[in-house]
Amino acid sequence: MVWSIAWRNIWRNKLRSIIMIAAITIGLFAGVFVMAFMQGLIEARIESATRTELAHLQIHVPEFLANNDIDLSISNSRELTEKIGTLDSVAAVSRRLIAEPFIMAAHGTGGGKLIGVEPEREKRVTDIWEHIIEGTYLEHESRMPPVVIGEQLAKRLRLKTGTRINMQMIDSNGNISLKGYRVSGIYRTNNSSYDESTMFVNFTDLQAQLGLNDNTAHEIAIRLEYSDQADAVKPAIQDLATNYNVQTWKELSPEMSMLTNSMDQYMYIFILIILLALCFGIINTMLMAVMERTKEIGMLMAVGMNKRRIFSMIILESAVLTIMGGILGIAVGTGVTKFFETHPINLSMFSEGLEGYGFASQVYTSLRTEALLIITLLVIITGVLSAVYPARKALKLNPAEATRTE
Amino acid sequence: MKIIEIKNLKKTYEDNSIAVHAVNGVDLSIGEGEFTAIVGPSGSGKTTLMNIIGGLDEATEGSVIIDGINTLELSTRKLTDFRMYNIGFVFQAYNLIPVLTAKENVEFIMQLQGIKKAQREERATELLRAVGLGELMDRKPSKLSGGQQQRVAVARALASKPKFVLADEPTANLDSKSTENLLGIMEQLNEEEKITFIFSTHDQRVVKKARRVITLEDGKIISDKRKNSNNTD
Repeated sequence: MVWSIAWRNIWRNKLRSIIMIAAITIGLFAGVFVMAFMQGLIEARIESATRTELAHLQIHVPEFLANNDIDLSISNSRELTEKIGTLDSVAAVSRRLIAEPFIMAAHGTGGGKLIGVEPEREKRVTDIWEHIIEGTYLEHESRMPPVVIGEQLAKRLRLKTGTRINMQMIDSNGNISLKGYRVSGIYRTNNSSYDESTMFVNFTDLQAQLGLNDNTAHEIAIRLEYSDQADAVKPAIQDLATNYNVQTWKELSPEMSMLTNSMDQYMYIFILIILLALCFGIINTMLMAVMERTKEIGMLMAVGMNKRRIFSMIILESAVLTIMGGILGIAVGTGVTKFFETHPINLSMFSEGLEGYGFASQVYTSLRTEALLIITLLVIITGVLSAVYPARKALKLNPAEATRTE
Repeated sequence: MKIIEIKNLKKTYEDNSIAVHAVNGVDLSIGEGEFTAIVGPSGSGKTTLMNIIGGLDEATEGSVIIDGINTLELSTRKLTDFRMYNIGFVFQAYNLIPVLTAKENVEFIMQLQGIKKAQREERATELLRAVGLGELMDRKPSKLSGGQQQRVAVARALASKPKFVLADEPTANLDSKSTENLLGIMEQLNEEEKITFIFSTHDQRVVKKARRVITLEDGKIISDKRKNSNNTD
């Protein structure tokens, strides 16, 4: 009977209940959608960073990343690469040489990061070759070795495909080495600062300029079958690369990890605001419902309905309202989110700002089931807890006075 | 047989630091099957006395023995249960649950008592027929007249098979015809079923029907008159 009365009480003031359910629905939809949007943004950034820039794991000589000394090289890179390639979870492995040259072009000079890659292997580890917007990916079209540069660098130095640039660096013997390269391709990623600083040449060309032997590399980049395996696979790779430093993409890019965490925090703050608004909405609605029914609640107390049942009745009303709004909100939120999982949200008007932080201007939403369960649970808990105050108010009524209320 | 025995009952409260004796030393016994009206001017203590008898208010002093139990010594929880099993209430403003039908309103108390559905339905139907609402038992209170709602309230008060029914100004919101009808039903239930009714009222029509009239003034009983059982005036 408590259930029956609670259910019928909800529909006693239909408009008010519908408004409350709509508010919960909209609140929850907004929560689910924003969560999925932010998650999509983060996942796209992680995917972009691991797919285009970092790969899932990297091996270096300890201290190499701190000072980029070309002498801090992996001396048995060929054998190590072959061994790592045989591991189960590893999809592809690529060796890299890294230098920090001084770039000299006809219309300007500057610094940058030059990465020597084995093109065919690298294509399986990262996807820079898919981001070529002009020209080709490290293909010899002249006697001069090819270089692939980012769009931002091309703009800054006014470079086009076919333009020659000179790279000056210190080789392994400590001599200044100057070598000319021909721009074979220009790429564009979602990360404009990466595009402004990073260039790619053939492994052998950079090896020759630096005067290093064939078995030497500065970095071994590893792509796994699944990105979430990085922490699990790391020990097996470390066993093979005993003297070297094996790091996951999270360790290599702490700023991205921080960005992910801060996104999570913003998301929780947003959800907290939604829950607070929901909480006050429910308190207001249930308080009105209790005040309107003072006489009736007094009668229920008088005829023998105990406090536990009265408390349950009011909590149940709020819980049912919340669950109805919650189910609708989740249904609408999930539906809309699922649509945007395959139809990207176009944020091209903000692309400059977003790409400055490495975010794509087209975002696909991504909904995590556990996050959906958590927000559902939080909404229900909020609904129930918000009704505690109005329910306690009801319990404090004096039945003798309440039954005579006008 | 006495079902209520009140001894030296006092209820004092403070109003602007002045002690008000709402009930001031009442001694009263009510026997089974009585049809009693408590009358008196406003502020005489009728409602307070009714509330204390009904376990809805606390007393400052004295005792209220119902069926051998001093209700003033019961905890809130036990008192709630005691009311459910022993006392029927009829309120001035009917106080039916608007979202339930007449039948469900009557069944409600029995459900609180844990009585099975079939039994509840049978008794609710029987009671609603007894108060002349056999045809209207599926209507919600908003579809019933004031008199009909009060008759549902009487049926509800009787649903738990209480030791007595407390009716606080039950006719105050009713027209003459509805009052006559309601009082007739209550009188019939009293005579045939030996149900004890205690009214708090200003209504002379109720006073005329009552077989015992207790008059209160300033919290004290100033008269307690019994009439013949065949009183018809």
